[in-house]
Amino acid sequence: MGRPRAFDEDEVVRDAAALFAGRAYDSVSVDDLVNHLGVHRNSLYKVFGSKRGLYLAALRHGLAGEGPGLDLLLLAMAERAPVDAEVAALVQAVLHDLDQALGSAGATATLLGDRLRARAAS
Amino acid sequence: MADVRISGADLVVEMNGFDKLWALKSSLTIPLANVRGATLDPGITRESKGIRTAGTHWPGVITAGSFRVDGERVFWDVRDPMKAIVIELRDEHYARLIVEVDDPRATIGLIEKSL
Repeated sequence: MGRPRAFDEDEVVRDAAALFAGRAYDSVSVDDLVNHLGVHRNSLYKVFGSKRGLYLAALRHGLAGEGPGLDLLLLAMAERAPVDAEVAALVQAVLHDLDQALGSAGATATLLGDRLRARAAS
Repeated sequence: MADVRISGADLVVEMNGFDKLWALKSSLTIPLANVRGATLDPGITRESKGIRTAGTHWPGVITAGSFRVDGERVFWDVRDPMKAIVIELRDEHYARLIVEVDDPRATIGLIEKSL
């Protein structure tokens, strides 16, 4: 079963980002996290404090570059940002960066819209 | 079952009715600064409870009181696993509280908004 206490925190956060990019926050249970990430339940609480604590770490990691960034961002925008001020702030910062990088808010909207359509079609 | 409320800068967890007796504790007051988060976690009731140091444990019926697991002290007050929430603490007597609340979603929202 689970990894011993000294697990690789980065690896856990990366795997959690992939999990949260695939389905809704509320549908990811602590059982799912324990099973998919191979972490002992008590260690998970000790290191991250809560499911939300792990989610925020996964979001920061996922939005920082590599990994399932766009899908994680889309889900965070749709379901967590409206109810969690810290998620909303993270999302706003990333959208701002995207606007800067792509040249306009319209380009960001197109990127996100295209990703949504691709997800819906797959 | 426990009532969880915010009182000033504290989180107050108050055991209902007979749970005061089973848990040997009527309420716990924790400074919000020492609360790390709260999580709905029905599955935790299937994990090893460790060693009971005070309280009541009838497996499948009620887990209430103080337990020691992996070198940590954990407080339990749960009958219905579906309503069990885990409140993780820092610098407190207990490492975490695992209590049953009437409306887990509302209670978790209340705690997260106050941190």
